Amino acid sequence: MMSEVFFIMANFISPEEIGVNPRAMLWLLPLAAAIAIVYKATKVKKITTRYFLKEVAVLFGSIVVCIVASAIVLYGLVWLNC
Amino acid sequence: MHRRTKENLVLFLFSVGLLGWLIPGAGYFLLKEKKRALIVFVTITLTFAIGIYVGSIGVIDYVRSWPWFIGQIMNSPMVIMLGKLTAGGSYRVYGKPAEIGQIYTAISGLLNLLCIVNAVYLAYVGEVETAEIKK
Repeated sequence: MMSEVFFIMANFISPEEIGVNPRAMLWLLPLAAAIAIVYKATKVKKITTRYFLKEVAVLFGSIVVCIVASAIVLYGLVWLNC
Repeated sequence: MHRRTKENLVLFLFSVGLLGWLIPGAGYFLLKEKKRALIVFVTITLTFAIGIYVGSIGVIDYVRSWPWFIGQIMNSPMVIMLGKLTAGGSYRVYGKPAEIGQIYTAISGLLNLLCIVNAVYLAYVGEVETAEIKK
């Protein structure tokens, strides 16, 4: 039991291996989800599971779509300058 | 609910804000918004935990990366203790994991600031409405 606790704690004092590659961009998803959840938790008047999840899903989708659209525009600009 | 005096209202709003800073979501708990409090607590704590898991606790460093520390400190006073532990680069932190860790921990802090402000606002609005009903 103690060794498991130390193992978990050790994970917090050494960085994970994350390469500089397109897959690293997926780390934006949990953050976008956290932002959507907390923002909606402050905005929704009465929290019911179904309504809250729907609101969070819509905001999460909007954030991801906006980021993808921005990436496409920036990629296009770089491509035009090449 | 009894009507508070002006001094009591200020003290109440201050305690909602302070509690929300001590424990994410606790400000809402004081307002009896238990679902909201639980959602905020779990989400902010998890986001912060992911940040220090990915980048190591070295991402909290008020000496070498103080601009990030301003965001991180909004999570809880616990971050100050962690900062004292990790000040000056006692723990390994580098590259992409450091970047991701700093972003996660600072954003979770800013989200908590949003919740603190919102909880204080709700407390104020609740008090004003209660006072108007009593009139």
